[in-house]
Amino acid sequence: MKKNSKTRYIVLLSLLILVVVAAISLPRLFKSEKRALSGESRQSGGIDLSEYPTLESFERAERDDIISSYSDTMPVYGNWKSYTMKDGLPSDKCYTVRIDGDRVLVGTHDGLAVLEKGKWRTYTTEDGLAHNGVVSIDVSALTGDVWLATLGGLNRWSGGKFETFTQFNSGMPNDLVYNVFCYGKDIWVATGGGAGVYDTNKKDWKIFTEMNAPMHEPWTYALTAGDGKVWIAAWGGGVIEYNMQTEQFRDYVDPDGFMEIDLLPDDGLIHDITTATAYSDSILWVSTYFGMSRYDGKNWNGYFDHDSGLAGNFINFVRAEGPVVFVCSDKGLSSFNGKTWITYKKNDEKPDGKALVYRGARVVKEIPLTPSISHNYVIGVDAEDDVLWVATSSGVSRGERIN
Amino acid sequence: MKRFFLVVIISGLVFLLTGQLSSAQSVPGNYGNIPDSLMAYDKYQKAYKYHFIEPTPFLGAGREKKEPVDLTEVRIGFLGPLEGSIIRPLGEQMMQGAILAIEEANKRGGYKGMPFKLMIHNDVGLWGAAANELVKMDDEGVWAWIGTIDDTNSHVAIRAALKLEIPNINPANPDPTFTETNIPWVLRNIPDDRQSSYSLVKYMTVEKGYKRIAMMRANNRYGRVGVLHFNRSATRLGFPPVIEERFNDTETDFTSQLERIKRTSPDAILIWGNARESGLIVKQIRELGMNVPICGSDRMVNPEFLEAAGKYAEGVVMTCQYNPTANDPKLKKFQADYRKRFSMESDAFSAHAYDAINMIILAINKAGLNRALILDVLTDYKTFKDWKGVTGEVIFDATYNNIRPIFMAKVINGKIEFSPAPKFEKENVIYRKASRN
Repeated sequence: MKKNSKTRYIVLLSLLILVVVAAISLPRLFKSEKRALSGESRQSGGIDLSEYPTLESFERAERDDIISSYSDTMPVYGNWKSYTMKDGLPSDKCYTVRIDGDRVLVGTHDGLAVLEKGKWRTYTTEDGLAHNGVVSIDVSALTGDVWLATLGGLNRWSGGKFETFTQFNSGMPNDLVYNVFCYGKDIWVATGGGAGVYDTNKKDWKIFTEMNAPMHEPWTYALTAGDGKVWIAAWGGGVIEYNMQTEQFRDYVDPDGFMEIDLLPDDGLIHDITTATAYSDSILWVSTYFGMSRYDGKNWNGYFDHDSGLAGNFINFVRAEGPVVFVCSDKGLSSFNGKTWITYKKNDEKPDGKALVYRGARVVKEIPLTPSISHNYVIGVDAEDDVLWVATSSGVSRGERIN
Repeated sequence: MKRFFLVVIISGLVFLLTGQLSSAQSVPGNYGNIPDSLMAYDKYQKAYKYHFIEPTPFLGAGREKKEPVDLTEVRIGFLGPLEGSIIRPLGEQMMQGAILAIEEANKRGGYKGMPFKLMIHNDVGLWGAAANELVKMDDEGVWAWIGTIDDTNSHVAIRAALKLEIPNINPANPDPTFTETNIPWVLRNIPDDRQSSYSLVKYMTVEKGYKRIAMMRANNRYGRVGVLHFNRSATRLGFPPVIEERFNDTETDFTSQLERIKRTSPDAILIWGNARESGLIVKQIRELGMNVPICGSDRMVNPEFLEAAGKYAEGVVMTCQYNPTANDPKLKKFQADYRKRFSMESDAFSAHAYDAINMIILAINKAGLNRALILDVLTDYKTFKDWKGVTGEVIFDATYNNIRPIFMAKVINGKIEFSPAPKFEKENVIYRKASRN
């Protein structure tokens, strides 16, 4: 009897330990499976992807990625405040905006503007910029260095000093750098003379053109990276995907092969004239001057202004944060999570505007915004936590989440 | 009485409507003059979306900018192959046409007494250098620019033009995809290779009945994109080209390609390349004993082609974007002035460059010194509706591409004679154009 009671005690204790161990390990197991499914596995073949953070992935890890929770409820931004030359910007023509911790970096036609502690400061060629026209900005998640794509070269802004990379002093593909993207130690650039990647450890460039990649011509306009792959918006050549593990390329083009039509709505990339790529949550977003495409690794979806909440088909830039993509068009800013569209438009000749909530192409709600974004011609965007910054043809605007 | 008022009101409305429509340029037919029978997939499947039905205007800021007060000259940019390129002679013709237009405008008083100045840039051609020249133009403060000829350099440059927001008229690059980029800052006043391809397909397959067409094209973007619509269109009509051979610029011996072509027993041969190589190809076709008809692209309408082909040029049929022998006093004056100024004959590149600069000057005089406003004038479909340059009229489609009728050019008795190019008849219009007011 005593022996039976001891055995029962041991069995119960074992069961309890099993339950505790399962309670601890199963969620971890599911989490790692989920990460693997979503392509966030840290190990991909011979490459340790933990060494390739981007600013977005870094922010997500550090701050638990508030925007990721918006997969069902889309954030709506309001309380807009706009800044122009009157507020201290060197130019009203703002090409790009990047949030870098407590400061905001704005690339304008006439210099780099930095908002820090409520004050704008401008940097120009006199401070060491390669050119005053700053068209793209990224920040290295590894080093905190700021990389600036200008109309006349690439700058690394580190420790208060600007280092300039040009075609002739470093072997970069071309001095007009349309886009820069930091991926771990690698700095990727898109130029009219091809795409390039600068290995900050080895301090050398690799260049990709029609000679060594499936491009008809070496025109590249933008790029993004994630999960060991790089996607290059190759202007008339669709999207070029580079696999860092295999060092192989593949291209995605409009399957109908004609510039003047889109034959079927979801048959592939909607047009070969691509203007930007963005990658997040295992989704690739591609913008064109004809609409936008979404690729989940298996299926393509196309979006136009007549069949979705897209503000306009002429899209200058896209940036994805978690499940949400922000789309910069010539007719306003749109955001989309695969289900719901929110489109921001400023009213003509007035400071106010609205946010339009769409399901498909149907407006389900109109939210008046006073004031609104500074201009409907949107060229750049960046989001972090509950704040959204928008670079436009006439100033830069800051919005806060209002829902 | 009621009926009277009704008639008056309806008549008034009709008058207003027709007046409104006639004040804008009407754009008939499909995009790019695509013949109905050659619309992509149309026999089998209507497209989900047709692009280029409506123009894409520039919607950004900039129109509010005041005209500068401290200028001493009004700068207009030029981008062309002036050194380090085998098409340098074409670039020089283009530049000279532009110079002549600038000089004439300055004799008329310039802009508010300020002289126009052409800011000349070489497009070089390697590693996207054309884009860097556009940045220099922006730094120089040009108000608009013309150029260039090479397809690749033109594409590279217009992306920079979009970023920098500088209006461009291209007077020389026939690549159809150039304006199909949808960039609102870009226009083209020279008809493109779509127009040449449709005319050649109509002439070769429908009018002449050639069924087995061999193609010999330059191994570069000009050749590849140039024959694209010919290839697709001939195929759609049931006559896919039997062979497509390629040659490199500066190549002189084409025997191996032509022997392969000969083995296909073609009814006719189409050549798409620069004047010199095309002339040598024609010569070697005949020397190989092939007496088939030969057709070719507009770059063969050039004395260099006649010189290289010699007596074998006889009977060759080409396309040309304008009629240089037209009995037009404006054209005759331009040709005489050009001959006097540069001691040589003008060509398609100089004539279209002359027109392009004059269009820009007209737009500047109307809009003032503001890039966005200059673009608005160039793309308003009204200012140039009744305007006629030395090369003819300007009919912009929704991509601001000139789709006016082109010409066929045939070598007869050693001289090139011109006639209107054949057109496909209209069946039904798939692209329904909205009227532009």
